[in-house]
Amino acid sequence: MPDTVIATEGLSKHFGAVRAVENFSFSVERGEVCGLLGPNGAGKSTTLRILMGLERPSGGSVQLFGRPVTPGCRELARVGAMVEQAGFVPHLSGMVNLRLWWEAAGTRLASADLDGALHVADLGDAIHRKVRTYSQGMKQRLGFARLLLGRPELLVIDEPTNGLDPAEIREIRELITRLTAHGATVLLSSHHLSEVEQTCSQVLVMNHGHLVASGTVSELIGSGGSVYIEVDDRARAHDLLAGMPGVGAVHAQGDGLVVDLRRGQRSDLAAAITASGLRLETIMPTQRLEDAFLELLDGGDHPGAGDES
Amino acid sequence: MIALVRTELTKAVRRTRTYVIWLGLVALPLLIVVAIHARGNRRRRGEGEGLFRLAQQSGLLVPAAVLTVTSGFLLVVVAGTFAGDSVAGDAAWGNLRYLLMRPVPRGRLLVAKAFVAGVLIWVCTILVALAGLIGGVVLFGSHAVTVPTFVSGVFGGFRLSETALVVRVALSTAYVAFGLTALLAMGTLFSTLTDSAAGAVGATIGVYVASEILDGIPQLGELRYGFPTHYLDAWQSMFTQNHYSSDMVTGVIVQLVYFFVFGAVAIVWFRRQDIRS
Repeated sequence: MPDTVIATEGLSKHFGAVRAVENFSFSVERGEVCGLLGPNGAGKSTTLRILMGLERPSGGSVQLFGRPVTPGCRELARVGAMVEQAGFVPHLSGMVNLRLWWEAAGTRLASADLDGALHVADLGDAIHRKVRTYSQGMKQRLGFARLLLGRPELLVIDEPTNGLDPAEIREIRELITRLTAHGATVLLSSHHLSEVEQTCSQVLVMNHGHLVASGTVSELIGSGGSVYIEVDDRARAHDLLAGMPGVGAVHAQGDGLVVDLRRGQRSDLAAAITASGLRLETIMPTQRLEDAFLELLDGGDHPGAGDES
Repeated sequence: MIALVRTELTKAVRRTRTYVIWLGLVALPLLIVVAIHARGNRRRRGEGEGLFRLAQQSGLLVPAAVLTVTSGFLLVVVAGTFAGDSVAGDAAWGNLRYLLMRPVPRGRLLVAKAFVAGVLIWVCTILVALAGLIGGVVLFGSHAVTVPTFVSGVFGGFRLSETALVVRVALSTAYVAFGLTALLAMGTLFSTLTDSAAGAVGATIGVYVASEILDGIPQLGELRYGFPTHYLDAWQSMFTQNHYSSDMVTGVIVQLVYFFVFGAVAIVWFRRQDIRS
């Protein structure tokens, strides 16, 4: 069984002169929770549509579970996906929608994880009401139930909280957190940074169809910016860190020090402090993913690419 | 394939719109029958000896009369609605992409959708004929009829037995339903071209209306023989001239040509199409 669940190589998608995705290569390994970050129009949804066989790439290749993706290919049975808004047949109940969707591929409802999906949707008796009576949040929850019906090995979730009110956003985020806690491989596309920061171990940042950065959340945050530390001897730590390569300014703040990192990781800083005999009590980034993301976008402008998402 | 047909059929028959259409198609023939009955044998100048006047002799002729008035436009609108909505309806609901994210070949899904639209079109045509038949038999009875003719200045006529009427009504119903096959294929193709169900339905009906208008222009000559609507009324000769016109066979061939050409284009297009809805 291959450990690489998703692999793209030089993926491109052009709509006439508009380059929605350009030379995009990435992979997602089994068990990873990968966030696909980017502003609106970065090419995230187009990438996911290609991944699900809804659109054909203009160039490059895309594989699921080691097999090339084609429309309606068998590997799709191992994927639970929600691309943009959850769409349903409005004049049918939530339950009938789930049943028909599942049975359309010639599979019996008895083989689906209906109880688990309904538990996740948490719609109660509303599952028997027509979908046209549902709120947007209820539709999204039903969408999650649908993507979980087949006990998927891979979850592809695109902008799950778009168009929801704050209470619904909170519900959906808690739901995603529960899903990722169960060890599923997840590709989550979003332009809500806190969503990705809270749930994803790996992050891919897209802008204008290009991959502008990738890595863990801490790598993206820690590859620049500053960290806040607290040690038992602040003066000694100041002298030590001020002379360290890769460190810019060091200044006192509250009970600790704020250290500007030009390069290097927080882990290097921590190792140097402990090696010098100082006791490290606190180390945390002073910037969040949002700051790193905005810095990446400022530096990663690709004027040739388009706006399609 | 059976699973796809079953799910598509469930979606269609659980829709209020479908029941409203069926109700309307049952009510209209009954209204026509009642109107014919209320009018009785009174005849005004210019009314002629059409199927409606003959229908008063036997309820077995009422379905033919009803099909005459519904096949040109009403059934076209109904068939255009089912065919045009088949794919575009799901696209408009945002449901199409979820259907296509299942391990189901696109061509098979399209064939299932077109098949269900075709079944609904046949059901609608049969409902019209059946409602006319039941209403007609109740109000006018089921008798043989004598159809008057006027050929080369000579008055004559021919007799159609009850059995002959039933057989010809069944044949004419099947021919009218089959005459919507080209429309089914066109509607299915248009349905793959847009996310707007109303747009696909409108385009389908529009093509048929345009075909009927152009078919009425004699200056277009033999070009008209290729129009999908040209042979739609060929079945009426079974009741008015007592023979099975060879035009019925030509009409079936024309419908099949449109069906295979537009059907093939629809499948090829749908299999290659980017789903953006």
